Amino acid sequence: MLQTPVQPTTQLPPSRHEFAEIIHRLEAGGAMLPDTPENLKQIIGIYKAYAVPMDFYWRDLLYIAERVFLDPTPFFKYFLPPEYLDLPNHYAGDDADLRIWRGEADAHPELRAFLETGELKRKLPRLLHHLWHDRINMEFAEACMQSMFWHQEMGGRFNDFLDSEAYRQNCDRAIKAYFQGNPVMLGLYKLFPEMFIEQVRQRSYYANLGLFWEVMAPVFFEMCDRYTEGSLTSVPEAMNFLVDGIFAVAGRPIYHHVYIRGECYEIIPKSQGFTWLYEAALPYVEAVFYRVSPFRGTRSYNAQVGQVPKDQRDFHYGILYADIFPVGSAGVPPTLLMQDMLHFLPEFLREDYLQHCRGEDDMLIQLGVSFQRSMYCVTSAVIQALRTALYYPLDDSNPKHLEANRRFFEAQLDRFKRPEARLGDIQRQDYR
Amino acid sequence: MLSLLIWLPIFGAVVIGLLPNQVSALRIRQGALAITGIVLLWTLGLVTQFDLNNPGVQLQEYFPWIEVLGLDYSLGVDGLSLVLVGLNSLLTWIAIYCSDVNTNRPRLFYALVLLVSGGVAGAFLSQNLLLFFLFYEVELVPFYLLVAIWGGVKRGYAATKFLLYTAVSGALILAAFLGLIWLADASSFAYDSLLGQTLPIGLQVLLLSGILIGFGIKIPLVPFHTWLPDTYVAASTPVAMLLGGVLAKLGAYGIFRFGLGLFPEAWAKLAPWLAVWAAVSVLYGATAAIAQKDIKRMVAYSSIGHMGYILLGGAALTTVGIVGAISQMAAHGLILALLFHLVGVVEAKVGTRELDVLNGLMNPVRGLPLISALLVLGAMASAGIPGLVGFIAEFLVFQGSFAVYPLQTLLCVIGTGLTAVYFVILLNRTCFGRLDNAIAYFPQVTWREKAPALILTALILILGVQPDWLTRWSEPITTAMVAAVPTEQAVQQIVQVSK
Amino acid sequence: MPNIVDIAVSNDAFKTLVAAVQAAGLVETLQGPGPFTVFAPTDEAFAKLPPGTVQTLVQNPPQLARILTYHVVSGKFMQTDMATVNALTSVEGAPIRVDASDGFEVNNATVISADIEADNGVIHVIDTVILMG
Repeated sequence: MLQTPVQPTTQLPPSRHEFAEIIHRLEAGGAMLPDTPENLKQIIGIYKAYAVPMDFYWRDLLYIAERVFLDPTPFFKYFLPPEYLDLPNHYAGDDADLRIWRGEADAHPELRAFLETGELKRKLPRLLHHLWHDRINMEFAEACMQSMFWHQEMGGRFNDFLDSEAYRQNCDRAIKAYFQGNPVMLGLYKLFPEMFIEQVRQRSYYANLGLFWEVMAPVFFEMCDRYTEGSLTSVPEAMNFLVDGIFAVAGRPIYHHVYIRGECYEIIPKSQGFTWLYEAALPYVEAVFYRVSPFRGTRSYNAQVGQVPKDQRDFHYGILYADIFPVGSAGVPPTLLMQDMLHFLPEFLREDYLQHCRGEDDMLIQLGVSFQRSMYCVTSAVIQALRTALYYPLDDSNPKHLEANRRFFEAQLDRFKRPEARLGDIQRQDYR
Repeated sequence: MLSLLIWLPIFGAVVIGLLPNQVSALRIRQGALAITGIVLLWTLGLVTQFDLNNPGVQLQEYFPWIEVLGLDYSLGVDGLSLVLVGLNSLLTWIAIYCSDVNTNRPRLFYALVLLVSGGVAGAFLSQNLLLFFLFYEVELVPFYLLVAIWGGVKRGYAATKFLLYTAVSGALILAAFLGLIWLADASSFAYDSLLGQTLPIGLQVLLLSGILIGFGIKIPLVPFHTWLPDTYVAASTPVAMLLGGVLAKLGAYGIFRFGLGLFPEAWAKLAPWLAVWAAVSVLYGATAAIAQKDIKRMVAYSSIGHMGYILLGGAALTTVGIVGAISQMAAHGLILALLFHLVGVVEAKVGTRELDVLNGLMNPVRGLPLISALLVLGAMASAGIPGLVGFIAEFLVFQGSFAVYPLQTLLCVIGTGLTAVYFVILLNRTCFGRLDNAIAYFPQVTWREKAPALILTALILILGVQPDWLTRWSEPITTAMVAAVPTEQAVQQIVQVSK
Repeated sequence: MPNIVDIAVSNDAFKTLVAAVQAAGLVETLQGPGPFTVFAPTDEAFAKLPPGTVQTLVQNPPQLARILTYHVVSGKFMQTDMATVNALTSVEGAPIRVDASDGFEVNNATVISADIEADNGVIHVIDTVILMG
C-alpha cells in the first residue's frame, strides 16, 4: 500500500534528512508508522496480546522485588500467590488513582484462565505446567530488567541513588531483617556486603520495571477496547492516546518497598521524588527499545573483532533494530515474549496472520514484526511527548520554534540511520 | 507383457494428444499419472516374474516384421535392462507427479512425456539393433520439443544444440550398426545372432569407436558434453529429471549392451584408455562444477562427473565393477532426479538459482527447511557417503576397478572428494547462513512438491542400507558378460590369428 | 514588600500554582529568606498539560515538589542578569536553558511578564510549564 507523501504543513522548507518524509509526518502530528488501517489493526491487536502477559509481568516483578527479595533459592518466584493476582492496578478499576482502563483492577480474566489450564487447555498441577514451559515466560521480563540494570546511565536519578549512603543504610536494615535468625546468610553478608547490596539494587530494578508496566497494561487494554468500540480509528490517534497517557502518569512515584514478616521496609521511599517518566519510562525505552545487548541466536557476534561496540551507548540491539527472523529460531528472550503474545492474540489478528506468509507456521515472526511496528508507534509517542515537554507545539507560529522542533525530530531519527534499523522496513506494508 | 511398457504410454500419448480443448490441465495430468502409474505397477509385476538365476534374456516376445531389412519386433529383458526399465517407469511417474499443474499446452506436454517414456522402454527392451535404433531416435524430437517449448531462458539455443548433438550421435550409432551387419555378413539385426561375430580386431575397434562416441555423446562423456549443461539448465524440472535420470542412462546402456556386449575383444583392448577417459570425465565434471555459480548448472556438471564412474566400472571388466556400474546408473538416476527436483523447488520458491543470492534456506520458520534437509541428503548421496545408494555404486565400481587400473581409480576417488567440495559450497551458500529478511517471503512448499522428493529419498536410503535389492538383478548377466571377454592372452592370440 | 508566595496568592492567574505549592508543602520554603528566582507558570500554562497530569502530581507531593523546584533557581536573577547566561541550575538540580538575548525564553516557555520583584527574590511569569530534559 502506498502512502501519499505527507506535505509539510509548516512554513519551513522541506527537510533534507534521509527520512524527510517521516519527519514531515511527525511535524504534521503523525507517527513514524504510516497511518493505514492495516497498521492500526496490527498494533492494536499486538497491544492487547502484549498487555495480558504484561499484567502478569508487573505483578510478578513486584512480587519478586517485594516478597521474594533475597531468597537464595527462588525456585518458586514465578508462582504468583493469589494476593498478587488480586493486587489492584492503580490505573484500572473503580478505586483507581486515575482510571485509564475501564476494566477491573485485578488480574485479567484471560490471564487467570491461562494460568489455570495453560496452552495444553488442561488443569494440571502448576509445577507440571511450569516444567513443560506452559506458562508466562517471566524470563523475558527479567531480561528487560537486566538490560535496564546493566545500561544504567540513561537519565533520571534512580541509578545515582542506588550508590548513595542512604540507600546502603536502607538495604542494610532490610537485609538484616530478611535474614534474621539465619546466621549463615548474615555471616555471608558480613563478609561480602557489596554482593548483597548489588542483589538489592537488582531487586530495585525489578520494582522499577514492575511499576512501569503496571501503567502500560491498562493503557494497552483501554486502547484495544476503544478500537473495538470504534472510537480509536487511526495510528496518530493511537499515538496521541499514548502521549496523553505518558503525561497523565508522568508523576507516578517509582519506589521500592520490601515486606518482611508483615513490616514494610522502604528501600527507595516515595519521598525520593522518583517519577515514572524520568526514572522508569525513559530509561526503559532507551534500554529495551534501543540498546539491550546482543542475543546469541542464529547470529553470532565476535566482540574481539569489534562486532560488539565498546561503548554501551552504541548498543543497538533493541526491538527497533532487531532482526525478527533469526530471533524466531533461537531460544532468546524476544522469542519468549512472542510465544507469550501468541497465547493472547485477538481473533482478528490471528485470522490476518493465517492469511499471510506461512500462516500458522511463522505466526511468531509475523507477530514479531507487528510488535516491531507497535513499538515504533510507542517510540513515536515518546518522541512526541518529549517534543511537547521540551520543545514547542506543532502549530507554533514562531519559525525559530519550528526550526527547533525539526532539529529535535531529525536528531531522534538520526538514530535510525543505522543499517540494521527497521524504520525503513515498517514503512512498507509487505514487511511481515 | 513387455510390450505394454512401450505401447501403453504411446497409446496414452495419442489419446491425450487428441483430447478436446475443454478437458482441464488437471484432468490431463491425472490421466498421464494414471497411465504411468499402471506402467510402474506393471514394471513391479515384471520384477516379480524375473528369474534371478537366469543370466540370459527373459520374458521374450517376438514377431517378424520387415524381414528383408532384418528388422523384427523382438523384446526381452535381462538384468541390465530390468534395472533401467524400472528406473524409467519410476522417474517418468515422478516427473509427471512433480510437473506444474498449470503447465502450458498440457496435452502436448504430457503426450510428449509419455512418448518419451514408451520410447525409452522400447530401447531398453529391444533385442534387435534396428528396433533399438528406431526407439532410440524416437526420443529425439519429443525431447527437443520439451526443451524448446517448456524450457527456461535460452531454451531455443539449448534445444537446437541438443538436437544437433543427438542427431550426430544417432548417425554414428546407425553407421556402426550397419557396418557391423555388412562386415559380419549377417542376415538380420537380431542381437543374439550378432553376439558371436568374429570380425578382425581392427575392424572391431573401429566399430566400437563409433559406438563409444555415439553413445558417449548421449551420456555424455568429455569432450562431447557441451550440450549437457545448456540443455539441463534450460529444461524444466520434470524434463531435466528425465534427461539426466533416464536419457543419459540410455547412452550408458548402449555402451554396455552394444559396445561391451558385441565387441568384447575390442573392448578389452581399449579398456585402459576407457578407464583414462572415465577419470578425465570425472575430474573434469567435478572441477567444472566447483566453478559454477548457478546451482542447476552445478548439478548438471556433477552429472558429467558421475557418469564417468559408469565407464570406469565397465572398463574394469570385473563382475564387481560392472555390477557397480549398473548400480551407478540406477543410483545416479535417483540422486540426480532428487537433486533436480529440489533445485527446481528452490528456484520456484526463491526465484533464483544464483549461489551468490541464495542464503539461509535452512531457516526453520521462513526458509525451506525440509527441502534444504533433503538437499543435504541428496548431496551426501551424490558424494558417496556410506548408508546411501551412491556409496554402494561407487564403492563397487572402485573395488572392481582398483586392482585393474589403480591409477585411474585413484583419480576417480579424488573426483568423489571434489564432489564433496562443490556440494559443500552449494549447501553452505544455499542452506546455511542467515536468511535475508528482504526476500524471505517464499511461498509454502506444498505436499505435492514434497512427495516426489520423499519417495526418491526413501529409495536412496533403502537401497543404501539394503544394496542387495539393487545389485542382485544384474549379477548373473554381469558374470556372463565378463566371461565372454577373452583374457589378455586370448586377445593377443586373436590379434595374431587375424594377422 | 510582599514575599514570593504573597504575590502568587494575590494574583488570580496563579491559582493552580498556589494549590500545587501548597500540596507539595513548599509554602514555607518559598516564604524563607531565599533569595529565589521563580519561573511561575500561569493557570493557562498548567491547563495546556494533557488531562490527568496535574491530578497525578497532586496525589504525589514529593514528585510534585520535584517538578515545582525545577521552576526555582536559588539567587536573584533579573532579566538583565540573564542576558549573558545560557543556563541556570534549578533547585531540583537539572539545568534550565535561558535565552534573554532576543525576547525572553526559558526552556520552551516564553516569559510573558518579567522582573516582578518580591521581598525574597524575583518572579518571571511563564506561559508553559517547564520540564526537565
